[in-house]
Amino acid sequence: MSQTQRLSVPAPGAIRRFDFPPVQIDHFNNGLKLLSVQTHRLPIVTVGLVLDAGEATLDEDKAGLAVLTGDSLEGGTTARSRDGLAEAMESIGAHLSVRTGWDSTIISLSCLPERLEEALNILAEVALSPNFPADEVDRIRKQHLAGIQQRNMDPSAMATEAFHRLIYAEGVPYGRPLGGSVESAAPFNQDAAMGFVKTRYNPGNAGLVVVGDVDLDDTNSLAKSCLGDWQGRPITKKPFDPEPRFRERKVVIIDRPGAVQSEIRIGHVGQPRSTSDYFPLVILNTILGGSFTSRLNLNLRERHGFTYGVRSGFAFRRDAGPWTISTSVGTHVTADAVREALKELDVLISAGPTEEELAASRDYISGVFPLRFETTNQIASQISEIIIYNLPNDYHTTYRDQIRNVNYEQVMDAVQRCIRPDEITVLVVGDAKTIRNPIENLGSVPVEVRDSI
Amino acid sequence: MRNTYGERDSGDVVLSVPVERFTLDNGLRVNLSHDHSTSVVAINLWYAVGSRNELPGKTGFAHLFEHMMFQGSANVPKNRHFELVERAGGTLNATTWFDRTNYFQTVPSHHLEMALWLESDRMGWMLPAMTQEKLDNQRDVVINEKKQRYDNQPYGDWDEWIQAMVYPKDHPYSHTVIGSMEDIESATLEDVKDFFETFYVPNNAVLTVCGDFNRDEALDMIDKHFGEIPRGDEIPPIPGELKLDHIIGSTVREQIEADVPLPRVLMAFRIPPYANPDFYIANVAGTVAGSGRASRLYRSLVCEHKIAKDVISHTLPLMTGAGMFLVWATGFSGSNPSELEEALALELEGLESVTEDEIQRAVAITETSLIREIQRVEERADVISMFDQFFDDPSRLNSELERIRAVTPVQVSKFTNEFLGPNNRAVLTYIPKT
Repeated sequence: MSQTQRLSVPAPGAIRRFDFPPVQIDHFNNGLKLLSVQTHRLPIVTVGLVLDAGEATLDEDKAGLAVLTGDSLEGGTTARSRDGLAEAMESIGAHLSVRTGWDSTIISLSCLPERLEEALNILAEVALSPNFPADEVDRIRKQHLAGIQQRNMDPSAMATEAFHRLIYAEGVPYGRPLGGSVESAAPFNQDAAMGFVKTRYNPGNAGLVVVGDVDLDDTNSLAKSCLGDWQGRPITKKPFDPEPRFRERKVVIIDRPGAVQSEIRIGHVGQPRSTSDYFPLVILNTILGGSFTSRLNLNLRERHGFTYGVRSGFAFRRDAGPWTISTSVGTHVTADAVREALKELDVLISAGPTEEELAASRDYISGVFPLRFETTNQIASQISEIIIYNLPNDYHTTYRDQIRNVNYEQVMDAVQRCIRPDEITVLVVGDAKTIRNPIENLGSVPVEVRDSI
Repeated sequence: MRNTYGERDSGDVVLSVPVERFTLDNGLRVNLSHDHSTSVVAINLWYAVGSRNELPGKTGFAHLFEHMMFQGSANVPKNRHFELVERAGGTLNATTWFDRTNYFQTVPSHHLEMALWLESDRMGWMLPAMTQEKLDNQRDVVINEKKQRYDNQPYGDWDEWIQAMVYPKDHPYSHTVIGSMEDIESATLEDVKDFFETFYVPNNAVLTVCGDFNRDEALDMIDKHFGEIPRGDEIPPIPGELKLDHIIGSTVREQIEADVPLPRVLMAFRIPPYANPDFYIANVAGTVAGSGRASRLYRSLVCEHKIAKDVISHTLPLMTGAGMFLVWATGFSGSNPSELEEALALELEGLESVTEDEIQRAVAITETSLIREIQRVEERADVISMFDQFFDDPSRLNSELERIRAVTPVQVSKFTNEFLGPNNRAVLTYIPKT
């Protein structure tokens, strides 16, 4: 082939069909839902118990309780010691994973399909009859506190934490770190863990997810025998208002003398997972800072070399999570980077995306969607969202159509409703001595310099 | 009901990932591995060049060069590569490591030819698109990458210390992949040209296509796009002194006061390279030592003695002269680092008494994690390329679990005595600055 023939991009072949694996949904008498999916590619199965036991509904003085309780599950059960539990898990090739978020606690593990029965038994035992030995709970608490110390010295984690505290009004759970503070975690003990499990680990709002090379009827009867007798009633949770702290633009510098880079966070309170603007916002964000070829990344990284990368994103939770542009940049270009980021944002929200960008991001998001369904773990975590966010059962099969239908007007309407340029907070964690003046010179908003959060 | 790529032989899983291998006239090795279960395809390229190939004064260049590979080629303007792949609904990236640099894209199947065209254009015709401006831009990006991921991170410089302690000064593993910023800053367009012409040649690369494609069509596309790229010269030998003693010979120690929140002790050992069958023994020993909550280090340091907040173990599969076995333990505020060091040493030396049960658990964990990893076509393609480049045997993936299962307690015990003692130890201690 000659060089002239190489000039043009090869045309795509015929599109091949992509079918999402069907999700079978069964309801048990105790309220528990079973979501199961059969896959055949490799001999593996992932099981996960999705509990309505997140951090968001805890009072400030209990913050961290859901995380600490989840982490303490490894301490053992009424039937097995800590070591006995670990050995039982690992002899079937599994690691116990407990992930606690704002909206859920998910206990999961993966193993060979012929070990499914053992896996479900262990999973049920861990969730239903943990015994939280006092010295184990104390060990987990100390590790947790040491983790907070570590986070406080990680510039990126510290900036994110400070940003959330800044943008939410006093007392809004999303304004605090997920695992709480030293003060709120300090009183954690055996009783607190037991109490949390008793009130929050119950079948009413829970789902069991099983994905892998297994027979779905067998799975159903195994699940029923392990979890069918589980009793408990969901509690009514106190709703909260994710109120912003500011109704005007703010620029705050947290001084880290001598820092080689500045951490930048720009944004405000975003939208809940249930927003009707969800799909337009996904498209908008892809264009702004949600892909390599986003406006922010092409400017700050590929044009100016200010940073290794910049991203933007909406944290969609049950209530309005933060909307954030985040990056770390060289100290001496900090003000330039802030200026360019704000400029890209202003241009995008005033003029809107081009038709070409809209088409490109629709194609990108709908095209990469199947790549989130390759592994049993990925499928399990995707379908867990059906349980956590009450999504329609056909959510994943209609996802790509929803994305493909997003048009310019919908994106601009979403911008009108969801982006408030006059209420943006800009936080920079860096060497104030060097960055303060250039940032002040950017505009009319006064710059506030603090020594710490 | 049978799964596609795993069968049973007397209870054990036997992987049967299909791999067909071809070699083009220009020396490019090509592996095809079909999987029609999802309409996606992974295109993976391993170039047998990494930080080990860097000359003195040019450290970090292999990685900087990897960035330049995304700056366009004769028929692909800057940013176009990313635009095309993202527009197609695909993902792409690359990484640089000691022994290799890998480039990977995953796209919906019907865009296979575009992905192959993009890879071939930069393999064959990257230089016409290079400019000083692009080099300056990516040098800034890489310097920011170093600041963000190493300089501005607590413990971020650990690998620089550990590599220099485990490997002799003239060994290619004695410097890091990210390299020194002075070297990066002095990189020139001439360096880019030399590096490209020396290492980015078809006879120094492995191409693996894994996923949903038609075999004959794929072969035609590969031949059409890569076939005319000329073979390069013989690859120059790796610089430096590759021969080294199988162990360090003593305990070498460094203690640094740094901006870290908690004390941490890292302990590293020289071990047989990946190409040596004994590497699998090291791998199993590493799993017994530090993988999971029933592992020795977690149980002892974290749970029983409560002197560590966390423990980590890694067995690095390196090819050139020697690999590395690495553990670390993070203490609590005010805890005594020498206590951590003694506990690490005691537990590792104690692997001499490893039990059959422990080995079985390690094998089970490794089995699950390998199967989990290769579920994604991107990862499967990557390990196929790796086995081709490292072992000249792309199908070796299918027998990898057998090598793990063959490890015995006696072997781990012998390995422990030979490699995990005080005559083969690099100990790096971080103390929080007061």
